[in-house]
Amino acid sequence: MQPAILTEKLTKAYGPRLGIDSLDLEVRPGEVLGFIGPNGAGKTTTIRVLLDLLHATSGRAFVMGRDVRRESVAVRRLVGYLPGEFGLDPRMTGRELVRYLARLRSLNELNYADEIAQRLGLDLDLPMGRLSRGNRQKIGLVQALYHRPPLLILDEPTTGLDPLVQDSFLQIVREARGEGRTVFLSSHFLSEVERVCDRVAIVRAGRLAAMETTESLLEKRRKRIMMIFSTPVDAALFAQLPGVSDVVPFGNSISLRLSDGIDGVVKLAAQHTLLDLSIEHPSLDEVFMSYYGQEQPWTP
Amino acid sequence: MDTLTPGLKTALRTIWVLTAHSLRSRYRSLIIWGVALGGLGALYVALYPAMSNLLQQYLEQAPENMQRFMGGVQGNITIQQWLEIEFLNVLVPVALPFLIVTLGARTIAGSEERKTLDLLLSNPFPRWQIIAGALATMGISLAAVLAMTWIFTYAAVPIAGVDLGPGVLASALAALWPFCLLFGALALLLSAFVRRNVFAITIPAVILVATYVINSLAQATESMRPLRFVSLLYYIGHPIQGDFPWIAVLAVLAGTLALFVLAMGAFAKRDVFT
Repeated sequence: MQPAILTEKLTKAYGPRLGIDSLDLEVRPGEVLGFIGPNGAGKTTTIRVLLDLLHATSGRAFVMGRDVRRESVAVRRLVGYLPGEFGLDPRMTGRELVRYLARLRSLNELNYADEIAQRLGLDLDLPMGRLSRGNRQKIGLVQALYHRPPLLILDEPTTGLDPLVQDSFLQIVREARGEGRTVFLSSHFLSEVERVCDRVAIVRAGRLAAMETTESLLEKRRKRIMMIFSTPVDAALFAQLPGVSDVVPFGNSISLRLSDGIDGVVKLAAQHTLLDLSIEHPSLDEVFMSYYGQEQPWTP
Repeated sequence: MDTLTPGLKTALRTIWVLTAHSLRSRYRSLIIWGVALGGLGALYVALYPAMSNLLQQYLEQAPENMQRFMGGVQGNITIQQWLEIEFLNVLVPVALPFLIVTLGARTIAGSEERKTLDLLLSNPFPRWQIIAGALATMGISLAAVLAMTWIFTYAAVPIAGVDLGPGVLASALAALWPFCLLFGALALLLSAFVRRNVFAITIPAVILVATYVINSLAQATESMRPLRFVSLLYYIGHPIQGDFPWIAVLAVLAGTLALFVLAMGAFAKRDVFT
């Protein structure tokens, strides 16, 4: 099965500066891929090249086997796109906009647009000039989703949405995946990527820094383990175990970080009277930072 | 339509959807332009009986330069000459292109600045169809405003009791259609190139005003007379007097087509930014 998105050494230069630099990316059909990175990392540039809004300086990109430059019309027929920034005609209503865009796709059926609007709590019959930022973002989501495209390309989709609406949106994304559709989701919000994405691509300075399943990326994170014993225990014993670091004893408790399997720690702890044991999984932000180090600012 | 290929049918359908949308969003402004220009036309017709003798007396005593500036009119001033002096040679051809220039500039550079272009371009049609839709919008808008101008102006003819056939008035206004469209196509081309709405409006506007100034100076001043060939207004001629400028119209249409093709090429090649 051909990839939903495939880029080969994709490069876009803005004068002397490289927006993306030899980016190799593969998005599998039917998956939700989180495309994450800080501002200026190349996320939006990649998306705009895929939509043929920007023309690549070198390299190639394909959407479902179609060249994004030479077959851009066919590509856009397959894609529902939410831009990171977009303007709306203040005099038009959301319904008029969706109807207009539907005509450009030779579609008449707008039932799904109504359904999405209802789930997101959006009134499609208000002039868009009277909508709040969050509601304008909902209009963007509706226009990207209403035609049930096989590939959704969403640039910062939850910007401006309140948490409840974010939940509704993520549920819609899960449903799209359930229907076998592919979602390419660029985001600043790692928590939403963690909640909905099958795989994560981390982009750094226009290059792909990592591409892994969300699960394996999270597996790599160093867990923090907190143990409470009935009496004080020698912390040095734990510090000698493989994969253990940052061992901090205080009173009857020991806190440590663990990057390997937990078996050795549990067996050693079991030699004492263990009152409580908790494992704290760091967020994807921390995993992300391990790829970025402290060299680049991160704006969650 | 049955003889057209499916690709051409789809293209025409998309261009029509784009055009209809643009027209729908601008119909109020078109009505205002039509009523305003038509109202002025009606006013000129209505004033003719009172003004013709006064103007004739004035011109007989006016300096030669001024006589030339007023179109070299001599003897009895006809309604056709009266309308030509200001309404058809200055007001409509200088004011109306501004409407079309604004339309042309808004198509790409304006939409890019308002960040509305992304949503449009994410739909499955090639970019040239946006340019074609814009040209169609400009052409229809112009025709609509000129038609309203004709209706309102001609409505005053029986009221004022002047001798002006509907055909010659229509012919005079029709001759302005390609002239105004040319400026719209220039704005469209600049809109595709420069990415700044203000430049796409200002450059054609400056050329338009320069055209008027050169034409007026060439009429009024003997030493500037050779410059009249530079001014597009010169080529419009006197269609209201039955002298329809076919060659100029065809040449201007050819120029419009060339600008249109260049705009399509420029827009297809360039990046679209937010």
